[in-house]
Amino acid sequence: MAMNCRDLWREVSNYIDDTISAEARAEMELHLSQCRHCTALIDGVHNVIVLVADGRTFALPTGFSSRLKERLKREL
Amino acid sequence: MTANIFTMPDVPATLQSSGSVATNRPAEKVSPQETELIRRILAGEKELYYELIAPYERPVYLSAFAILRNEADAEDCAQDAFLKAFRYLGDFRGESKFGSWLVRIVLNEAKMKLRKLRPALYESLDEPAGSQDESEYIPQTLGDWREIPSETLERKEVREVLVEAVQKLSVIYREVFVLRDIQGMDVATTAQTLKVSEAVVKTRLLRARLQMRDLVAPRINGSNVLSRQPFKKGKNPWR
Repeated sequence: MAMNCRDLWREVSNYIDDTISAEARAEMELHLSQCRHCTALIDGVHNVIVLVADGRTFALPTGFSSRLKERLKREL
Repeated sequence: MTANIFTMPDVPATLQSSGSVATNRPAEKVSPQETELIRRILAGEKELYYELIAPYERPVYLSAFAILRNEADAEDCAQDAFLKAFRYLGDFRGESKFGSWLVRIVLNEAKMKLRKLRPALYESLDEPAGSQDESEYIPQTLGDWREIPSETLERKEVREVLVEAVQKLSVIYREVFVLRDIQGMDVATTAQTLKVSEAVVKTRLLRARLQMRDLVAPRINGSNVLSRQPFKKGKNPWR
């Protein structure tokens, strides 16, 4: 039976993390080739993951290391 | 793997795992350098402590931020956690990665701090595993997102949108998302750190990712359309 949108949503993470079988991936790709909504979903999730994994997005506050070192010096 | 532990402060060696998702590679939980540093610190050379923890500044800070959602509180909490870890360093047995041990300490500290700081806004941090996970999340129908992520990040407001979106996730999704997708921790280590099963991590991660996409895409999509960047096998950020 062909994969539907709901089936695909459950596998989004596994698809992106490449933790699905070759057959499941092929089924997803067949569905994606015919479904613009799911394609947008996969691209969107993938883009979010790329963006948040970039060190610039969630950087340490400026001066974090200096303040930490000062506190360690004071309190250790 | 152990040779570069002190030369890549942004990415803790214990979390690198060659930048990959969970694998069956034998894991060296504590590097020889860390073992030696810990031995010397416990013998009295406490000035070496910063060298030991420097690679973990970012994961410890981000873990605190995952719970507290506020920079200043997260920084205070991270400092408290590092001091606590120093006091309990003698109890570290190397049964988990040193970074995971630190992250567990800071998550506990952050949860205690949240209860103290904002009891009125206190979220259900002790919610039983699975209570919210079982209902299926239905993603929004949104248009294509064709912008190249690395170009997107040049815009400061995009970073703000991402931070705000993470802040909006419920804590059980936020902590998994921060450990796995922001810090690059593998699923097994995330599960071990949060003391939940790998299946729970995967379920929460899927929900977090779908919600993040729904929160972020409508706010940054549609500008600077450069080219189609279809996802290809092996092109995720950890590979």
